[in-house]
Amino acid sequence: MLRQEKKVIVMDGGFGSELERRGLGLGVPADLNVTHAEEIKDIHRSYAAADIITANSFGINRIKYDGAYDVKTVALAAIENARAAGKPVFFDVGPTGAMMQPSGTLSFDEAYGAYAEIAELTGGLVDGYIAETFSDLYELKACVLALKEHTDKPVFATMTFDASGRTLTGSTPRIAAMTLEGLGVDALGVNCSLGPRELEGVVRELLTYSGVPVIVQPNRGLPVLRRGRTCYDLDVESFVGGMRRFVEMGAGIIGGCCGTTPEFINRLAAEFGGRETAPREVVRETAVCSGSRLVVIDGVKICGERLNPTGKKKLKEALAAGDYDYLAREAVRQAEAGADLLDLNVGVPMTDEAASMKRAVLKVQEYVDLPLQIDSSSAEAIERGVRCCNGVPLINSVNGEDEVMDRVFPIAKKYGAVVLGLTMDGGGVPKTAEERRRIAERIIARAEAYGIPRHRVMIDTLVLTASAEQALVKETVEALRQVRALGVKTALGVSNVSFGLPARGLLNKTFLTMAMTCGLNMPIMNPLDGEMVAAVDAYNVLAGLDEGSAKYIEKYRDAVGTVTYAAPARPAAAEGGDGTLYGCVRRGLKNDARALTLKELETREPLDVVENVLVRALTDVGADYESGKLFLPQLISSAEAAKEAFAALSEKLPRGGSDKGTVVLATVRGDVHDIGKNIVKVVAESYGYRVIDLGKDTPEETVVEAVKKFAPMAVGLSALMTTTVPSMERTVKALRAAGCTTPVFVGGAVLTADIAKEIGADFYTSDALGFVKALDNLRLKS
Amino acid sequence: MDYSALKASVSAYLGMKEADSATDSLIDECIADVTEAARFRCLYRIFTEPPGFLLSGEYPKLLEATRGVVLTVSTLGAEVDRLIRYLSASDMARSVVADAAASALLETYADDYESGIAEGLSDRFCPGYGGTDVRDVIHILKAVGADRIGVFMLPSGLMVPQKSMAGLRVIRGGVRRTCGRCVLLERCSYRKEGVRCYDRKRK
Repeated sequence: MLRQEKKVIVMDGGFGSELERRGLGLGVPADLNVTHAEEIKDIHRSYAAADIITANSFGINRIKYDGAYDVKTVALAAIENARAAGKPVFFDVGPTGAMMQPSGTLSFDEAYGAYAEIAELTGGLVDGYIAETFSDLYELKACVLALKEHTDKPVFATMTFDASGRTLTGSTPRIAAMTLEGLGVDALGVNCSLGPRELEGVVRELLTYSGVPVIVQPNRGLPVLRRGRTCYDLDVESFVGGMRRFVEMGAGIIGGCCGTTPEFINRLAAEFGGRETAPREVVRETAVCSGSRLVVIDGVKICGERLNPTGKKKLKEALAAGDYDYLAREAVRQAEAGADLLDLNVGVPMTDEAASMKRAVLKVQEYVDLPLQIDSSSAEAIERGVRCCNGVPLINSVNGEDEVMDRVFPIAKKYGAVVLGLTMDGGGVPKTAEERRRIAERIIARAEAYGIPRHRVMIDTLVLTASAEQALVKETVEALRQVRALGVKTALGVSNVSFGLPARGLLNKTFLTMAMTCGLNMPIMNPLDGEMVAAVDAYNVLAGLDEGSAKYIEKYRDAVGTVTYAAPARPAAAEGGDGTLYGCVRRGLKNDARALTLKELETREPLDVVENVLVRALTDVGADYESGKLFLPQLISSAEAAKEAFAALSEKLPRGGSDKGTVVLATVRGDVHDIGKNIVKVVAESYGYRVIDLGKDTPEETVVEAVKKFAPMAVGLSALMTTTVPSMERTVKALRAAGCTTPVFVGGAVLTADIAKEIGADFYTSDALGFVKALDNLRLKS
Repeated sequence: MDYSALKASVSAYLGMKEADSATDSLIDECIADVTEAARFRCLYRIFTEPPGFLLSGEYPKLLEATRGVVLTVSTLGAEVDRLIRYLSASDMARSVVADAAASALLETYADDYESGIAEGLSDRFCPGYGGTDVRDVIHILKAVGADRIGVFMLPSGLMVPQKSMAGLRVIRGGVRRTCGRCVLLERCSYRKEGVRCYDRKRK
């Protein structure tokens, strides 16, 4: 697609370097708007050759700002000063300086709130906004949404990329372009970090994938140390030469960042100002992404279907109990099995689906970086999910009904999501491929009317069961062919086809192959089903998508069997088991645990297996650990094997039969280290305790709430640092104040029995086994 | 990079003397996975006059008879944090080993990188050691402009990404490691065996 903007716009140059030149390099730059207004105005005036002046407002938001005034005062002063140049003024918005969850503690909503405040304070006073120097796409999304939802001014957004061509949080220029354009920014691009030459690859990628004007504001080359001071290595000629290249490639907005001076901007304005931008070819593709992973929907891409409560009892229970860690594990399992993206549906009757969807999205994207498919029939849940998702998600789904399209298309448009349309309407599922294609046409046309381009629409031609509607199976497949001819990509929920018939696996993989041949791009299927995945792998060879059959050979070179070809799992490490469940747990071979447990159950009662095999094995492992014969990784492997065994047993045991008691665990507020707590969790669960894990950075109130809700036999608190021990103390106090007499255990590298006593805890345990022993003692006493 | 020294470091972080062959392979795999996910970055700044926060408390002792001090910040990046988190949802043992591998790798990369900064550098001293306040880390982060490599400090003094370090090395003389004021002095399993965490050969 050919793209050409109108005229090249020139923005101003480095501010920090100008401040330094005038001896104003120390202190909070934003405060200078108040204390040195005249000098600031002077700097702005010196950039009057630019088309747009950026206010000296980088760092003005309530999270980052730590100057002597308040946000409102410095923000308004900054704008007033910028007006001195007599040119349109853009408010410069910078990052919060805090790290977003889950690595850090800043939430999407907190970041959004800080930027919304800025927008409200300044919206009527500026001509636009430029969000600059962001390295976290998620933070930038919060910023762009806040600006767009509180003002109607143009919003520019640029990110900073390092020498590897990614941002610090792993976004490529392509991912940034897709996401920002989807959010409706008026221009996007790159600033800071590197000089023109080093940014060539980044700029090229931006120009290839951005359908809106591209902004390029490099540093004046790379920093060098000269006589103890940081300078930049390019002179005006070299810089302008580098920028000339970008203008020729199609950049529409240019300027300079650190180290550039009015001289640089004057030259840019003289040479390129008002020039027509160069035309460029922009690639339009159907693609989804997370913050760090892009999936182009082309060829065949697998969408994992397992996070859908329909027909999944355990998932329903987990959602009802608020156990989102279960979702995280299922997500990880599907990612491990090779899913390219994940469907996420949390619709359980009598629950607040929208709230669940938000929590589910946040949790899943903590653990996996696969793009997500937000699946719901509630527009509210869809919006909630799409809003807090990093990157560009898929929305499952709309159909041909006007009121559904009118509810969902605005959401897809606002957030830049790709939409999956089902070829049915009020009249039910059409019998012929023709009719389905016609509905597809209607969906595509309506999407375009809402400003959603064709490449962001996918079509599902609907799978009915062969047992009930045998004649329609070929209509589905034929419809795929016709819909692909419309220029859109396709999806299907493949396993529906075999419902009600025997040997479902055989029908599923055969149907999948038929569909892929007729143009299916995205099967929504179970990635843990080795047969189905094998069918996709084989198809990729036969369709020429797996060049040289390289991936296929790598994966299947050691495959055995003539009927099933599922690839062998990652080979287990050296030592083999001895064929007994005891040996399996001793050696920590968790992959064998389930089968061996079921074997034991052929000749023994469940409780017998628990007492005389599992507990015996764990006790022996514990003794070896304490005597230094084996170490932490092995302890954990044994615990995980025991956990698998317990899971298999719990299907046979009477309800609650193996549940020794409930324990609430948490890493306290301000602390994000959770490895220790996780080890305790795994070991405690392996011994039969039910663990409610509140995660890390846990507010005191959350611990109190959980204790009230679950009435555990004990609470375990973990903290790594001396500075977070006070949080632990506050948590204990909060529990006591709320009337909870539950015994409190504390642990963590810096704790001792003395400190535990000082802060009011009941017990100190130094490791996981110690904790479990103490729990066992508590049980005996009660 | 000395691979067997790295592996020994990983084992030490896991509290192990020697691994059985299954754990040994696990360590190799985790080192490989972490190395792939890691995007090591380091920033430093050399001071001939010590910055303000080094003029009080326990620091002046370290700076005696030195020609300058280097402040350094290094990190393996957020992708490693994500890898460890990802593994914790599917294979806890692997997650724990990856965590140890990441700590060892960070130290190795940082030591390699920093040794090229100047002649005669002392060991790295990090706020939190020997009676200093871990929250002094913020001064180091500010001094080098650590947000440029994506390293931040939480209010508790913890840095994120988790596999990050901030410290100082003096030029010519000064910092020598001791157990001095370490919080684990009374309970250290290395001391019990007559070695030190910073010198595992000592007996």
